[in-house]
Amino acid sequence: MARAAETRSDLPSRARQQRLDRAFNPRTVAVVGDKRAIAYMWLRSMSTFQGKVYSVQIDPNEIPGIEALGVPNYPSLMDIPDEIDYVVCAVPRQVSPRIVADCIEKGVGAVTLFTSGFAETGTEEGIRLQEEITDLARAGGLLLIGPNCMGIYNRRLGVRNSWEQATGEGGNVGLISQSGTHCINFSLVGERHGIRCSKAVSFGNAVVLDAADYLEYLAEDDETEIIGMYLEGAKDNRRLFRALRETTRKKPVVMWKGGVTEAGARAIYSHTAALATAPAVWDAAMRQAGVVQTESLDETIDAVKALVYCVPGNGYRVGLVAMTGGQSVVITDAFEREGLEVPLLSEGSYEKLSEFFNIIGGSYQNPLDSGGTIGMGFLPQNLQKLLDILDEDENVDGIVMEVGIGFLARRMRENPGILDALLDTLAAHRKRSRKPLIAIAHPGHLEDVTAMVRSRLLERNIPPFGSFEAGAKALRRAIDYWRFREGMA
Amino acid sequence: MSIVDVIDRAKSEGRAVLTEIESKQILEEAGIATASARLAHTAEEAVKAASEFGYPVVLKIVSPDVTHKSDVGGVKLDLESAEAVTAAFQEITKAVKGQQPDARIDGVAVQKMARPGIEVIVGMSKDPQFGPVLMFGLGGILVEVLKDVAFRIVPLEPRDAHQMIREIKGFPVLEGFRGQDPADVEALEKLLLKVSAFAEAHPEIEELDLNPVFAYKDGVLAVDARVVVG
Repeated sequence: MARAAETRSDLPSRARQQRLDRAFNPRTVAVVGDKRAIAYMWLRSMSTFQGKVYSVQIDPNEIPGIEALGVPNYPSLMDIPDEIDYVVCAVPRQVSPRIVADCIEKGVGAVTLFTSGFAETGTEEGIRLQEEITDLARAGGLLLIGPNCMGIYNRRLGVRNSWEQATGEGGNVGLISQSGTHCINFSLVGERHGIRCSKAVSFGNAVVLDAADYLEYLAEDDETEIIGMYLEGAKDNRRLFRALRETTRKKPVVMWKGGVTEAGARAIYSHTAALATAPAVWDAAMRQAGVVQTESLDETIDAVKALVYCVPGNGYRVGLVAMTGGQSVVITDAFEREGLEVPLLSEGSYEKLSEFFNIIGGSYQNPLDSGGTIGMGFLPQNLQKLLDILDEDENVDGIVMEVGIGFLARRMRENPGILDALLDTLAAHRKRSRKPLIAIAHPGHLEDVTAMVRSRLLERNIPPFGSFEAGAKALRRAIDYWRFREGMA
Repeated sequence: MSIVDVIDRAKSEGRAVLTEIESKQILEEAGIATASARLAHTAEEAVKAASEFGYPVVLKIVSPDVTHKSDVGGVKLDLESAEAVTAAFQEITKAVKGQQPDARIDGVAVQKMARPGIEVIVGMSKDPQFGPVLMFGLGGILVEVLKDVAFRIVPLEPRDAHQMIREIKGFPVLEGFRGQDPADVEALEKLLLKVSAFAEAHPEIEELDLNPVFAYKDGVLAVDARVVVG
């Protein structure tokens, strides 16, 4: 990928923030160059927009299709009788310099260049065109998102980069992604896990605006409380590092790094330089900046889920509530593997447990093999006693509750209302407790039931995870961030 | 000689790698405690230096062309007398000339033999993505095998120095192991912060190894040092 000489736009930072605000919260949107061959994807994406949408298209074959969508079409941006806050440009690459020039003349807030075929192709023509639009944009002080990207998603205002995305209320999770696919997938999968985006941006080749710009913007955005990122690389890593450090002081950043950073060949003379490989240094920079690191879409979603829904806690000791002996063994393994401790409880807790815990087919050490005691979750009084004991135990910092989907589905067939008893008990505990609580909803053979239980748990601010391992990873990562915020090692 | 002078002289001679003596000079200027070394061109000079430092002493070859001194017989430890120093001087120069006949030899460095401590490495290098990066690791000369290291981006805050030391697998060794004295971790933290400040103040320094650093229960000492300028 060719590198531009600089990545910063030439506007000073406050002006940039205001312009980005205008782009992320537009009143008007213009789509340039949408067409049937791409199923009018952009106009369809903008069909939920609460403000005004305009189309710019000069091909007479395309105009009837556009007008059939109910969108007014104009031959150029200048012809639109309105100010335009945000433009999505889908024209072929040879035409893009013209559109960029028009955006400058029109004084738009920002333009997303969906158009690809630039430096990422490695061709002379692609590189030349990229330089041309970059120079134009910089000289004109235009905020250019991309090229080769999917641009902005604002859930509240209905600005979308995929027509499958949900709109309505604004969420609280921001997303900054170098890739369009991962931006969209995060938003779509996230919705199934109680994660709603505030604003998301897919930023592509980053010729004018880069990750640090969006990070600085979302750091100041009141709607955004947690920021997810997918990055393959940045042009100015020192600037990114500074922006990350500033941001994590206030909000968690969850970073999914894709690909291996290239290390240039250079002469080195010291042990230090030999050991300072690009991945080692990247990892160090993320730790230093207090960034939560993840390795996949699912891990990213899980970590964000824990950060969104759990009461923050700074201790590594967990109280584990499992349903059977076999699960008690492996749940302990899973949490210990993530460096969490599964301590013995206090004497007082054991005394209280001995009064009601069923030790026929069960045991209580930590983990608490509780199936028989709490009727797989359906003896709410016993479940509540158990949760209270863990909540009061000074050896326990966080609580993990296994929700056995198979047992639950079976019981629900006999007694449909039984799920509510379980959920109400958990919800009441969640309201009272100052310790992070996560649920593990498994095994996965009844996907419909799992999805239903998951959404009901999320409604009660209890994040469910699909496996012990996933829950342990997410919890560990969230705790490390909360500890970082408290200045703990 | 000031830091700038030492660097300028090396550059004017077309050298990027400073000698151990030069490296230690610069570091001492920056307030970093090293086992200071004096350059001797003859055995007599070596004996003179040894008697000033006090025995036992260590002799090491000084040559811009020798990267791993011990590999070519370029290091003699634990020299207790003038006779031992004289003999060591001859042996070192002969061994190095034998193994690397084309090596330019500036002389032999004499330094007081440091009492043994826990060997660690502190280094700096410039990462193409992030700029100056600091490294801390256990193992001193074994670090490339053990690779038990942690990194932080310059400039370091106190929290960074504190955390990177504790990140290494061998941290329990620093806390004292099997009757061995613990290391002065606070002094190690201060050293890291000093090296960070030094790197920030001198962007012409491209790489730096303090290796080994001996960590004692009451302080730390850089026993060998290599500075690379660019």
